[in-house]
Amino acid sequence: MISPRIKVKYILIGLIMIAMGIWGSLSLSQSNEKRVKKQFHLLSEAVSREPGENIFTLDQKLKKIGSLFDETCDIHIPAQSLSGRLTRDEITAYAASARLHFTQLNIKFHDFDISFPEGSGARVRLTGRLTGKTTYGEAVDEAHELECLMKKSEKKWVFSQIEVVEVLKK
Amino acid sequence: MAINKKIRQFFFPSLAPAFLIRAGCVALIAYLLFGHLLTPFRIKGHSMEPTYQNGSFNFCSRLRYLVSPPRRGDVVVIRFAGQRVMLLKRVVALEGEEIEFREGKLLINGEEMDEPYRRFPCDWNLPPRRVEGNSVYVVGDNRSGPIQNHYFGQASVARILGGPLW
Repeated sequence: MISPRIKVKYILIGLIMIAMGIWGSLSLSQSNEKRVKKQFHLLSEAVSREPGENIFTLDQKLKKIGSLFDETCDIHIPAQSLSGRLTRDEITAYAASARLHFTQLNIKFHDFDISFPEGSGARVRLTGRLTGKTTYGEAVDEAHELECLMKKSEKKWVFSQIEVVEVLKK
Repeated sequence: MAINKKIRQFFFPSLAPAFLIRAGCVALIAYLLFGHLLTPFRIKGHSMEPTYQNGSFNFCSRLRYLVSPPRRGDVVVIRFAGQRVMLLKRVVALEGEEIEFREGKLLINGEEMDEPYRRFPCDWNLPPRRVEGNSVYVVGDNRSGPIQNHYFGQASVARILGGPLW
């Protein structure tokens, strides 16, 4: 015979173990989410440009951009008629030429909707807001919905697909 | 003294259960009303002028298209990115219709449309194209700028959040 006091003790231990399991799985998925978000933060830092940026900073930022992508990445930007699989070097070159059109550039990401449909991949739907000033002095303030696929490569999340969602098709 | 007491009670009410229930109800109603039924938004840009001015304030009536689909001429609020970036545009063509701009004139299925809401001159040219299923074609009222600088085109009906309250 098990006394009621011992029964309660077992039930409590069981409940604590279940709670710990839930907490563990939640914190694991949250840490993955945090890591994914961190990559967007790094991309935002690397793409952003301040007036009077020196060559050393430019070089560092371009290297950083390259390191955030998989060896090849599918990029679809309908407004720029850019669509295809680009290598890391091509992406870096494209980013470098795009940055040249701006004297000041900021990219901020928000409204993250992150899911992990496959074991090693992450699907991220989010809003990217681009603000800045072109070399002609025009102010830019644009927001777009983005859909990205990320892949875990050597314990690091890298971009394997970036698509700008085309809301209005001309 | 009595007035002082009333003022103090108004700004610093005692946290009695009745007050907490009232405050909770007000918060819940405000959340449902402004979060799901009448979403407030501020217009940024000139694309809907003169109908809607840059910087003006409005509410998006989320129940507008709950039972009936948008019709030609309706001004709709389209979810553009996330939950915070929306577009305010006018529906000019419906699913299956052919749309064209010829020297600034809007043609639907080859017929010129009367657009009383448009005030500014327009010189747009766009070859004919058919609106896909479950989509509507939307354009701003202000077409005075170059066509390439204007956000317009066909949008999925699923992205339409509602219409402006006024």
